[in-house]
Amino acid sequence: MGTESNIAVPASKSEVIVETKNLTKIYRDFWGRQKVRALKALDLDIRRGEIFGLLGPNGSGKTTTIKLLLGLLFPTSGEVNIFGLPASNVAKNEKIGYLPEESYLYRFLNAEETLDFYGRLFNISGAVRRQRVAQLISMVGLESAKKRQLREYSKGMTRRIGLAQALINDPDLIFLDEPTSGLDPIGTRNMKDLILELKAQGKTVLMSSHLLADVQDVCDRIGILYQGELKELGRVEDLLKIGEETEIRVKGLSEDAKNKIAQIIKEDNSEMVFCGNPTTSLEDLFLNIIAESEARPGKRVRGGGNE
Amino acid sequence: MIIENPVPAFLDWIGKASLNWLFAVGALLIVFASAGFIFILVRSGPSQVFPIFFRSIIKGLEDLFRISFKRVGAIARLIIQESIRKKVIVVCIVFLILLMFASWFLDPESTDPARLYLSFVLSTTTYLVLLLALFLSSLSLPTDFKNKTIFTIVTKPVRASEIILGRIVGLSLIGTVILLLMAVMSYVFVSASLTHSHVVIDGEDVLPVAEAAAGTADPAAVVAKGATRLQNWHKHDIEVYGDGSIIVSQVNNHTHPIERITEGENVRYSVGREQGTVQAKVPIYGKMKFRDANEFEKSKGINVGEEWEYRSYIAGASPEAVIWSFDKINEKQFPQGLPIEMTISVFRTHKGNIEKTIMGSILIRNPQNGLSATTNVFNSEKYVTNALFIPREIEASKVAESPLFLKQQGEKATFEQQTNFPARKESYDLFKDFVVDGKVEIWLQCIDDGQYFGAAEPDLYVRAQDANVFMNFIKGYLGIWQQMIILICFGVLFSTFLSGPVAMVSTFGIMIAAFCKQLFLQVAYMQALGGGPVEAFSRLINHDNLMTEMPKNFSTSLIKFFDHIASIFLSVISLAVPSFSDYNIYMNSVAAGYDIPLNTVLVHGLTTLAIVVPLFIVAYLILRNREVAK
Repeated sequence: MGTESNIAVPASKSEVIVETKNLTKIYRDFWGRQKVRALKALDLDIRRGEIFGLLGPNGSGKTTTIKLLLGLLFPTSGEVNIFGLPASNVAKNEKIGYLPEESYLYRFLNAEETLDFYGRLFNISGAVRRQRVAQLISMVGLESAKKRQLREYSKGMTRRIGLAQALINDPDLIFLDEPTSGLDPIGTRNMKDLILELKAQGKTVLMSSHLLADVQDVCDRIGILYQGELKELGRVEDLLKIGEETEIRVKGLSEDAKNKIAQIIKEDNSEMVFCGNPTTSLEDLFLNIIAESEARPGKRVRGGGNE
Repeated sequence: MIIENPVPAFLDWIGKASLNWLFAVGALLIVFASAGFIFILVRSGPSQVFPIFFRSIIKGLEDLFRISFKRVGAIARLIIQESIRKKVIVVCIVFLILLMFASWFLDPESTDPARLYLSFVLSTTTYLVLLLALFLSSLSLPTDFKNKTIFTIVTKPVRASEIILGRIVGLSLIGTVILLLMAVMSYVFVSASLTHSHVVIDGEDVLPVAEAAAGTADPAAVVAKGATRLQNWHKHDIEVYGDGSIIVSQVNNHTHPIERITEGENVRYSVGREQGTVQAKVPIYGKMKFRDANEFEKSKGINVGEEWEYRSYIAGASPEAVIWSFDKINEKQFPQGLPIEMTISVFRTHKGNIEKTIMGSILIRNPQNGLSATTNVFNSEKYVTNALFIPREIEASKVAESPLFLKQQGEKATFEQQTNFPARKESYDLFKDFVVDGKVEIWLQCIDDGQYFGAAEPDLYVRAQDANVFMNFIKGYLGIWQQMIILICFGVLFSTFLSGPVAMVSTFGIMIAAFCKQLFLQVAYMQALGGGPVEAFSRLINHDNLMTEMPKNFSTSLIKFFDHIASIFLSVISLAVPSFSDYNIYMNSVAAGYDIPLNTVLVHGLTTLAIVVPLFIVAYLILRNREVAK
């Protein structure tokens, strides 16, 4: 445990702390027959200090990937390394925090007891534990409800206590599975702020989501999964750049000048796609990829890569 | 008390038992290791198999030996919190209600109420606690899997071994607390049910005897007679003697202290609480052998045709005898003499006077020189416990003139004992003349011609100083506790790979098999009457009894074939099934008023541990090698 202060190091140059090689997961039925290939040959590097987003529609393999990284599932083939340790090694968990898809917590415990219990699992000493529990409860704003059993909690409150639980050991690497699911706009905003705050503290975050806006707002890099395959990987701003198109932004351009430019484009044998106020978003990119994948199944190769 | 399977002496047992255990656990680990090796070989290929295999073994050893007891404690604590919040304590309330209505079901006129009440509370506690252990243990992990709370546990630095051990410890603690609560309630219930006193009013219940009124001053004569008033469905006879002493007869295994208080003209009787209802007798058992009609030593007596071969018989008015050899009788423990208790069977070949009981004698014999003395002559009825006393000083008239022989098979007519037979003395001392290095023999003979006595080894014992009744009661609960721990481990084991209901049914199956281990073994090794499961089923639907021969045809062969397959399967399972009937000795001892010896606690305690440890290891291996998520 303990926080190393490596805030200033840019993510692209820091060490790789999560690495998967050819990671594949095939779900089989009782007789060993293949039911579904949930993940196909995933190669992924996540570096210290970055926020990495796994993006994909429901059933694309995001949760499977996270479960494989955590060792909740065993890969059919391929490898996972976290802090240089295989996923099956429990020692890696010392520096990991995990917020599951839904907060799977003991509903008969109250918030304090919950955090205290998870703190004990890290062998955190009594004094430190009490201090951290109080600090986390105030961080997620549950002071008024800390003595209530979780069965009485609303979805948003459960999500918050789930997050506090994931941070009890002051982890270096945090897995957030759909962190904003079920939260109202304010809750979503708070969650995003919190993720950015974690980044500011030098922590590495791996989050999965199908909510594009969340990913676009907070992630440094994203990987887009579709039907178990990694379709895109790269920095958010790079991915959103449309390489073969050029955007010129001019203020107060006259109609005459516009015609001239159109003329030049024509002379260049280029095609004017659009002339107006541009909007490109992650949503477009995402929908494009899905449309393309359905037309041409298989791995989609595109520049950008890891950097 | 009937002891069909005596508990072996710890020191004789431990060596062989630990070897067997090591062999069994070793075999189990080899099976698991081979399965793991083959799995790795198939998955990773021959080049990788050895490094991966050895790494896994080292990892496994680390998981087993570097368990963090803090984390185990945290998980145990969680399990306890869960049980408290889910109101497991209700089971105690159910028990309390059962106790409240118990008197509806218990025979109030029982002649041994202590036994009845004790066996009632002990068996009720056994079933309730075992069922509770079954439910809690088989549903605990599956609930975590179903609610996916296990995800938040295994993603912390918690080893699979800690999850298993934490569960076992937590569940055992809950069970222990509930068992203790039930023990206290039971103790209160039994004491309250048995405690009573009787009213005796002079002149109404106790009347002077006619002859005594004349004013005979004989202190040994009965001056007044009568009985107490009815209480708890019984009364005691009272005899007042000339010297003022009063004897209250023993009814339902107890008697009462009584005091005659004279206040001027009036005489009042004050009767105290019952004495001797609940006991913790400490028996010292001997080794049993027999002497046949030709004075030869035999390991068994006569078979009188009883189906149950527990007891063996000797004929009356013959040299036949049942011999108990004791080897730890010392003067310090019994300065006054030897109190012995005997519960034997009587077999009549002719009715004779049916009112008359059968006469027998007790001899004491020096095993070295054959010196013997007839110390007690008694009348016995079937299964009635006779308390006899062999006094320290033995009159010369009771001592035999010639040595009492016990011929060994193949021995000639000359006996070594004859040579050192001691000269006659005026009086004999039990320890000086009969006991040699703590060794002494007690012989039982039947005097009436044509009648038989039957005995088993525990039927006669020297009774040492009684043990503490309450402590013995608690020891009785130790037997239930040990069964509970075993069941919890099975429940946890099954719940590592089965869903809740299936794990519960499997654990229930183990519990039933453990209760009927003997029958299970008979079926598994094809020795049960009525054949294996398929044959038994066919008999059931064909309305055949157990003894009718099966027709010799193809379907019978088919049935036998399936039974053979079932037999292989069942005999493998039977290895893993503990025998809960072995633990009955705890309950039977308490109910019958015998102290549970330390030896029993040690042997069964270690047996429990020997079952629990491999169950824990297997549960760990399964949990570690299964995918937590789906």
